[in-house]
Amino acid sequence: MRKEKELIYQQQLRQDLLDRKMDRREFISKTLTAGLGLAGVGVISNFGNFAQAQSRPLTPTFYQWIEDLHPGIPQVNSRFPDVNYQIAPVEGFGIERFVAEAKKKDSTWDVYVGQTPFVEMTAMIEADVIEPWDNYIPKDVIDDIIPSIREECTINGKMYGWPFLLDVIGTGWHAGIVKEAGLPDSAPATWQDYLSRADQVIESGAAPFGATFDANGWRSLAPFTHSLSSDVYTSEGLFDFTGDAAIEALMLMKNIMSKSHPDIMLAGTSDGGVNGTPDEVAFAAQRVGYYNKYFNAPLRMAQYWDNPKDLRMGPLPKFAGGEGSTVFWTTGAALFKHGKNKEKAAEYVKALTYDQQIWKDSIAGTETAHPGQLPPYKSLYAGWKSSQPDWLPDFVDLVRGQLDQAKAITNHLFGLQQFQIGKPIWESYLKGEEKNPRVAMQKVVDAVQAEMKRG
Amino acid sequence: MSQDLLQAILLWLPPTRGETAKVTTGNPAINGPTPKSWLVEHNNWVFLLPTVLFFVWYQVYPIIRVVWISFTDYKYLTNDPANWVGFDNYVEALSDPLMWDSLGRAAYFTAMFLPGTIIIPLLLAVLIHGVQNQRLATVYRVILLIPAVIPSTLVFVLWKWMYNYQIGPINHFLVEVTGWFTYRNAPQWLGGTDLTLPSVAIMEVWWGLGYHSVFFLAGLAAIPKDLPEAARIDGASEWQVFWHIILPRLQPIMLILVILRFGTSMGVIDEYLIFGGFNRESPTYTWTIFMYDQAFKTGLWRQGFAAAIGMVGSLVMMVFVTWLIYIFRSRD
Amino acid sequence: MKKEFPLTNIIRHTLIVFFMLTILLPLAWVLLLSIKSMPDSMRGNLWPRKFDFNHYAYVFEKIDTLPQNLFNSIYVTSATVLITSICAILAGYAIVHLKPKGSLFLVTVLVLSLYFPTRVVSIISIYEIQDYLSLINSTNGLILPYITLNLAVSVLIMRSIFQLIPGELIDSARMDGAGPWRTLWLIGIPLAKNGLVVIIIVNFVTAWGEYLLAATLTNDQEVRTMPVVLASAQGGMGQWAWPRIAAVYVIVVLPGIIAFAMAQKLFFKGLMEGALKT
Repeated sequence: MRKEKELIYQQQLRQDLLDRKMDRREFISKTLTAGLGLAGVGVISNFGNFAQAQSRPLTPTFYQWIEDLHPGIPQVNSRFPDVNYQIAPVEGFGIERFVAEAKKKDSTWDVYVGQTPFVEMTAMIEADVIEPWDNYIPKDVIDDIIPSIREECTINGKMYGWPFLLDVIGTGWHAGIVKEAGLPDSAPATWQDYLSRADQVIESGAAPFGATFDANGWRSLAPFTHSLSSDVYTSEGLFDFTGDAAIEALMLMKNIMSKSHPDIMLAGTSDGGVNGTPDEVAFAAQRVGYYNKYFNAPLRMAQYWDNPKDLRMGPLPKFAGGEGSTVFWTTGAALFKHGKNKEKAAEYVKALTYDQQIWKDSIAGTETAHPGQLPPYKSLYAGWKSSQPDWLPDFVDLVRGQLDQAKAITNHLFGLQQFQIGKPIWESYLKGEEKNPRVAMQKVVDAVQAEMKRG
Repeated sequence: MSQDLLQAILLWLPPTRGETAKVTTGNPAINGPTPKSWLVEHNNWVFLLPTVLFFVWYQVYPIIRVVWISFTDYKYLTNDPANWVGFDNYVEALSDPLMWDSLGRAAYFTAMFLPGTIIIPLLLAVLIHGVQNQRLATVYRVILLIPAVIPSTLVFVLWKWMYNYQIGPINHFLVEVTGWFTYRNAPQWLGGTDLTLPSVAIMEVWWGLGYHSVFFLAGLAAIPKDLPEAARIDGASEWQVFWHIILPRLQPIMLILVILRFGTSMGVIDEYLIFGGFNRESPTYTWTIFMYDQAFKTGLWRQGFAAAIGMVGSLVMMVFVTWLIYIFRSRD
Repeated sequence: MKKEFPLTNIIRHTLIVFFMLTILLPLAWVLLLSIKSMPDSMRGNLWPRKFDFNHYAYVFEKIDTLPQNLFNSIYVTSATVLITSICAILAGYAIVHLKPKGSLFLVTVLVLSLYFPTRVVSIISIYEIQDYLSLINSTNGLILPYITLNLAVSVLIMRSIFQLIPGELIDSARMDGAGPWRTLWLIGIPLAKNGLVVIIIVNFVTAWGEYLLAATLTNDQEVRTMPVVLASAQGGMGQWAWPRIAAVYVIVVLPGIIAFAMAQKLFFKGLMEGALKT
């Protein structure tokens, strides 16, 4: 109640200030006597933005890297005349600021472009930060989303994420190194094949290391497991670490590591250790032949090569008799529950996600960026298939084919955390401290359960 | 807060040297024997007002909030009201082996970092203080302060490059130039290995080298020049001059640095997040990361428990500082 | 002035030069990195096979707010340093030479506050405070919490500096009829210059590099300070290529070094004067 009165009075003082009925000094002394204290200072420093307070323009907020990787975004913005485009106050997966605002039933922004479902969507729902898109997203758009992606963005039958940028874990290789090792310039079909080719790279002396991967579980353990079976989530929605498929994948990781650079398990150097990982440096430095990660990584690293055109990409290898699936995730838009302009937000995200220029830039690359991230819509792939643009590389079709089998990591409050908690524990097996992979994985399950009991 | 601790801190903080002790013993000449009037008292408080204002607003409130939360089951991601749970969070924290491991790691880092970050700048300051050529001394001082103008984010970027396993200049030197190692057995500096804490300590010493030296240069400048001169004329060696004349006079500055840097080195967080992530086995997973992990990353963000972790950590630090103070006192 | 033996002098300068190189070599490496071609930036070799000077243009094109961010950082840092120094001088002086009731209690609390884990957990409290004051997304608003980051330390430093000033000096000034303000201005500050230099540096370093608060309390790229903009360039899935980050590095650090070199006369005058007077 007090706060309301304050606001009204403040509003009036502010108006007087704007109308030049008062100078700043008088304004400050009046707010001080009104007990508004330092709040007056804030008003002054903010009063330039005052006009926006009544009805604000559509305010989306983006991860910085999305803008860096997709230079076409400003073009979409220019079609929405008074869009107030911002860069999100998040680093890594930090959503503190969003939650703090939601607690006061408020939001500075209308839509957040940068949400990855398995990483943060459950937390955003728990904290009452976001609401489902269902009332705003057009029916034909929903139908156009590839089913596995729709499933990824849905919790309890509601779509909390509007998918935008698709990342799929696959294989990249350095054609120069591979050819020098006398190997075929094609994707290894099985892990068996992959491992023996990696050996060949080292033996031939074409590169010091054969193969590498990103040691974070959601980028290696999970996709490797999916390549055998994607039915690896418990009824709780957690990753089944002790299942046969996961054990098999863990043993595969150890195998690949014996052909890789020794620093492969070290933490990365940005975003709380999950980005800027050693595998990227090894691939960028042209010291390794084969690479498993989301396609954005080999593409980004190949820009360091003497000849970036040496990069080839293909699907993840299979286990003999395996399912041949992989892991994907989308980075998409979330709708702030306490935001405004919700219809407009939907209109904006639709324009953004269907923008042909953004997709062309993403897939073919521009002078400054080559993210290789793909669209979530069936119609776009179908359109490219019917009239093949000359900039479309083969891997797009390959990935589209995989998407019918690929699976996202199941959404859960511990969707990302389970891998963070488990990593040092399963690494005891990878380092040889623990001989039995099952024992190591059981410890992972115990540790995750213990953490969940804490609430 | 125990009376002893209070006493210890208060007794220690005034200077220990005789010549300045007068300062603390009031001045009857001005105020006379009569008690200060309310007005004088009030006037004097005006000097403290800005500090107190800022301090209460931005420090006391957050501290009280942390203390309060540590006794509740507050979870940030839910809208459930926080319930008072007494010492439950503390019991849980104290019985968690990770609490003690993570405190031990922070202490290990401090033990490496603290001596280095005080002794090396001290040495450097003494060396530079003796430079006769003023122009050269100026150049040295400017170079000294260069690391201080680099924002922390960039200091970390710089050292992540320096220490990079594959292509960093340090390993390049060890592998390609000297051939002492190969790329299969070269040292893995960062990323959660045993070498990570020493590597971070070296980085921090580098970063603080210049501005800690300036601390000491300020202290050296305050020493009357005739004191060491007189000692030299009496036949004291340079070493004796340093040990008996210079060092005792730098003690207040050294203690300020110890107090200040003990707190910051036990509480390092950004560096560990960048160079070790949330890997619980990593030596960089100290109590601060444990707290941050629980407060902002894990589950429903149990900030009640996280606050208790933080309180345990700070209580341990306070006890340790008190102990340090007693040690320093016993030497007087 | 004493004369040194040449040998002592040689050892002295050798040691100093060693430390100077330790400071400078990593920075020289970055400077070189910023003009390496992409393939060379991923080789350990110091000298590149091919230079590429385009990274700087890329940076200015990509971060078009960089000059504004740089200005914000300078502005916020200067204001923080100025206000903290004033607070610290007043408080340090008062605690030592005026000794109002409760000042010892204040000192105790200041010392203890150094050991509370406010750095991390207080981010939410500070967000709440700033929001209450409607100082979110305001460059000016950052100054207030920044002042407190090192306030306790600064007051403690000033306190120990004022303790070095003999009480008689202060007393005699007051006998001459000067009030506490005049005494501080005429006697206290000139003698405390050395300490002032130290707290200026301490506050400068913290405010100049602060990231967490700046990232949390601002929304618009234009009101942000440099560290926030830099951190986002080198994080996430689109991390910039190394030589480009190195170019940002040079762009950001160079003005600082030049400003420092120019300001050093002012900066170190305090140190020198102190040495001459005592």
